[in-house]
Amino acid sequence: MQEIERYRKRAIAQHWWIVVCSILLAITGMFLFLSWFGPAAWWGYSRLVHRIAAVGFVAIPVLYALMNPKGTWAWIKEAFSWGKDDLGWLQSAPTYYFGSDAVPMPPQDRSNTGQKLWMLVVIITGIIFVISGALMWFFKGIVGPGVFQWAVFAHDVAFITAGAMLLVHVILGSVHPRFSEALRSMITGKVTAHYAQSHHGKWYDRIKGGKKA
Amino acid sequence: MAEKAIMYDATKCTACRGCQVACKQWNELEGETTTNWGSYENPKDLSTQTWLKMEFREVGNNGDLRWLFTRRSCMHCTDAACVKVCPTGALFYHPLGFVSYDKGKCSGCGYCKEFCPYNVPRLNTNRGSGLGRMDKCTACTSFGLDRIDNGYTPACVKTCPTGALIYGDRSDLLAKGQARVQQIIAQGYKNAYLYGDKEVGGTHVLYVLEDSPSVYGVVENPKVPGAAIAWQDVIKPLGYVAVGLVGIGLLLNVMVARARMINGKGEK
Repeated sequence: MQEIERYRKRAIAQHWWIVVCSILLAITGMFLFLSWFGPAAWWGYSRLVHRIAAVGFVAIPVLYALMNPKGTWAWIKEAFSWGKDDLGWLQSAPTYYFGSDAVPMPPQDRSNTGQKLWMLVVIITGIIFVISGALMWFFKGIVGPGVFQWAVFAHDVAFITAGAMLLVHVILGSVHPRFSEALRSMITGKVTAHYAQSHHGKWYDRIKGGKKA
Repeated sequence: MAEKAIMYDATKCTACRGCQVACKQWNELEGETTTNWGSYENPKDLSTQTWLKMEFREVGNNGDLRWLFTRRSCMHCTDAACVKVCPTGALFYHPLGFVSYDKGKCSGCGYCKEFCPYNVPRLNTNRGSGLGRMDKCTACTSFGLDRIDNGYTPACVKTCPTGALIYGDRSDLLAKGQARVQQIIAQGYKNAYLYGDKEVGGTHVLYVLEDSPSVYGVVENPKVPGAAIAWQDVIKPLGYVAVGLVGIGLLLNVMVARARMINGKGEK
């Protein structure tokens, strides 16, 4: 079966690198929400791990963006490109994702509306994480207690938002039957032409001429 | 158990700082090297090694100079912001009402310091690694150095030569404090005030002041910060609900979709 390149190797490497950092960050930050994670933070070494993971979480995407500015910019632009097909997608999505074909889904580009929504969450909460985290790390005692207090608050709101959406991302991407090729594509970088056509019609039509994604 | 408290009567204090020394001695805290900055007040700030310090204030009043003293240390709030935000459970309410802590559980995050309305807890946290530990007054209830449990009064109270510091049931001290304030008012100090009766749910360190708290530089109307309430009482419960609902929704969604698509008419 004909296959199409959906993700390049370095994009895949970046994705899994962020997965590792995010897992470390979530586990070492979880004691703020679940008291049975409290003992993990005793003596404070979890906070050192949190900081090391935070550096990785920020450094690799920044490095990636510097190495690949065009692709990164295109990715950001994609996240913010919304049109009437996105509205249509949102209206039909509940029916479609509960496994029914009763409603037509508007054709989607390289990323569908839901994926773009996740990209927006990543970008926005990412910025909140970095700013509030830097405030708490480097500017503790320099900024007033009020600023610090609301930085903690912002960090937590970002975590709840990103965490809830991450659940959606992980479950849909791994076990949901509508995304039968999502996980494979994030490992091998390829999807079948059939999957590309049925899930990302606009993208498929655009690259059919031989151009790469 | 009846709630206990320490009462500091500023009008009886000579600022000998015996309490400061006794605190260090009992709690095995180290002396600090300081420099003269033009005041008897020394050291300049609380630290992990200085849990209690006397503050000296010169207040001008119609040509009269008043030298006012206050006892700066943990106020042992009933509604303690530090306990509210402590993520590891290191800070806790002692059965007698004091705010104590288990240093072994401290992660060094410093939220207690940043959220304390009195800016009392101190940390020796390394800015780079984040490793460190918090310290503050425990009203001599620290594990292994528990004077109260052994039937003694706190070290600062024990050593006070003028009776400016007394220890006892909080209700008794409140009554004594009110009576003392009335006495001072009768002597012409119209703004005399018993601090700690109502502040942050009632503190377990009470002050008898001959003037309003602001004159002494004591926090007026201390509050648990809004961010602590928004975080702990609003966002956290909302977070549990949001993540729970999303999780349940996803589970149902995947189950229904799989049933329809895979068991039904084949994967699409």
